[in-house]
Amino acid sequence: MNAGRAGITRLRPPEMKEHVEAPAEEIKRLQRCVNDLVSLLALPAIWRGGEPSQIIQTLLDVLLRILRLDFAYVRLNDAFGAVPVEVLRVTEHSKISLTPGELGKIISNSFAGYAQGSLPQPRDGFVMEGLLTFPVPLGIHGEIGMIVVSSDRPGFPGQTESLLLSVAANQAAIGLQEVRLLTEQKRIAIELEQRVAERTKALTQTNEELRRSEERWRSIFENSAVGVALTDLNGRFIATNPVYERMLGYTEKEFQQLTFLDITHEEDVEHNRGLIGELLEGKRRQFQIEKQYRRKDGQPVWVSNNVSLVSGTERVPRFLMALSEDITQRKLSEEALAKARLELAKVAEITSLGVLTASIAHEVNQPLAGIITNSGTCLRMLSADPPNVEGARETARRTIRDGNRASDVITRLRMLYSKKEPSPESMDLNEATREVTALSLSEIERSGVILRSELADDLPPVVGDRIQLQQVILNLLRNAVDAMRTIDDRPRELLIGTQRDGENQVRLSVKDSGVGVTPQAAERIFEAFYTTKADGMGIGLSVSRSIVAAHQGRLWAALNDGPGCTFSFTIPCAKEGLADAETRADRADPSEDAA
Amino acid sequence: MQPPNGRDGKERALLSVVDDDESVRESLPDLIMEFGFAARVFSSAEEFLSSDCFEETRCLILDIAMPGMSGPELHEELKRRGQQIPTIFITGQRDETIRARVLKQGAAGFLLKPFSDTALLAAINTALQAA
Repeated sequence: MNAGRAGITRLRPPEMKEHVEAPAEEIKRLQRCVNDLVSLLALPAIWRGGEPSQIIQTLLDVLLRILRLDFAYVRLNDAFGAVPVEVLRVTEHSKISLTPGELGKIISNSFAGYAQGSLPQPRDGFVMEGLLTFPVPLGIHGEIGMIVVSSDRPGFPGQTESLLLSVAANQAAIGLQEVRLLTEQKRIAIELEQRVAERTKALTQTNEELRRSEERWRSIFENSAVGVALTDLNGRFIATNPVYERMLGYTEKEFQQLTFLDITHEEDVEHNRGLIGELLEGKRRQFQIEKQYRRKDGQPVWVSNNVSLVSGTERVPRFLMALSEDITQRKLSEEALAKARLELAKVAEITSLGVLTASIAHEVNQPLAGIITNSGTCLRMLSADPPNVEGARETARRTIRDGNRASDVITRLRMLYSKKEPSPESMDLNEATREVTALSLSEIERSGVILRSELADDLPPVVGDRIQLQQVILNLLRNAVDAMRTIDDRPRELLIGTQRDGENQVRLSVKDSGVGVTPQAAERIFEAFYTTKADGMGIGLSVSRSIVAAHQGRLWAALNDGPGCTFSFTIPCAKEGLADAETRADRADPSEDAA
Repeated sequence: MQPPNGRDGKERALLSVVDDDESVRESLPDLIMEFGFAARVFSSAEEFLSSDCFEETRCLILDIAMPGMSGPELHEELKRRGQQIPTIFITGQRDETIRARVLKQGAAGFLLKPFSDTALLAAINTALQAA
């Protein structure tokens, strides 16, 4: 059949012809219509959960049947996919044989005059190969698609048929909308499921990582070789590790009733509290303290603690962390060592000179004794009758030999024990001080210390051994620099000064801004301080004190009003006459012993 | 052992010297012989004890501080053995208390080194007369 345009003529809407029917016929017709309507109205229920294709098939079947069509055609717009769907159902005796696409083209062309989205009315049909063909829009604005029905019955479609067509189109539209909705819902559900699955996976991973991280921390905490204690900002224990618990004899639960200051030795509490304060104020990021704890059983234990402030997170507030090492052993050995040194020094002080003297005496006494004995023998031999000249010669020989021996001993001993022999002289303490500071200035400055001198103008001369006093000054300077080694929150200032002290004395002071000493320690340092400095010039405070004492002076330490200490020594001034006399005597006969 | 005869042929009394100090052992015998005695020297108390001389020794000149048995210890040992040899102690140590101690022990004399020849002779004579 030719499906060209030629075979199509447009019709005006069919007039509503009055079909005069017998009433019985009419009733039957109406009954049939009602039945059909009921069927149509049941369709959406059937269609629910189905596919669009299902709906279309059912629709076309129903339409073909109840309207006794020649063919029925449905086109769905691309609401359901990329491609518009076209389905054509023909009856067995259909007059046409077209593919859906071909028919679709014809229909498009026929209705091309209609604007997109406008409704083809049932009255706007056309004739095609003798078939009355009418479009019915699907959806209110035909947005879903179009049904096209065709019949060879004249007067098609009648009233009832139009009604049925409208209802069918409506139901189809409803069914298709529902399908679309369901599909959309399914799609959303799937997407949601996917998203939830991804989220869950991500969360699980995060939890895994968190758990692993927590396990790692736990492991470190439990197995650390040092004690670890966490406290809140008031010092109350939050958590403690086994090493810490063993160190102090408390369980973690017991700790949680205590603050760390509760178990700190009274002597150390103030200092400790001060450092914590600085930590909380942000003046330092961490501090180190050596202090004593008291164990649960009352025993003291020395520890070296390193304490830091741990910043918080959104869930966890800031807390303090202390790494605690038991240094009791070290402290005990330090104390033992200090005690031993003290005793050794005492003994050394007492015996060194004595030992030296005894050693010299012994070495020299032997040849001396020999000389005296041999000389005595010599004289007797010479006064014998006859004189024993041979024997005398032998004794004389021995005498000379022993004399030389003694001389060798003296020489050897002098070499062994010589530094410059101490020689007291009248000297200017300022000059001596200037020499020392000049020598050590670079060392001082390298330690970040600012050195100031205030040397009195009118300082009278003192009698003293220049070298020894300079050693004392150097010792004090070095100690001052050491005391300021850990200071970094204030300037490191060293002030060295000289002044008259009363009528007959001169005072030298060295003032630092360092860590200071406790009042109890101010005396102990003179005993406990020993030199271990390897550069040979170093001497400790105990020796410094001895030197000053040997000069009839005094060496002491005092705490400053501010931070740090001042070490001072006083020495008697040179008495005018005496000093001059000594100097003159030295010059006149250097070989004479000093008076 | 025969004490050597002096120039006049008379028998000389034997003096034994025990001192670890070499110069003493070297110089004392000549002096002692000038005094007219015979002399034997020993470097330790043990050497003296194991010698055959302590029968003959008429006077013992004994250093106080010696390695091994000291002078006073030797003196005590001799007393224990019933050997009462007059003993003069000599020493280089200047310790005031030693003199009193050894004299209490029964020393016949005490001399501080270095001592003069006359001092030694006087001590020897005193010791021999007291015997």
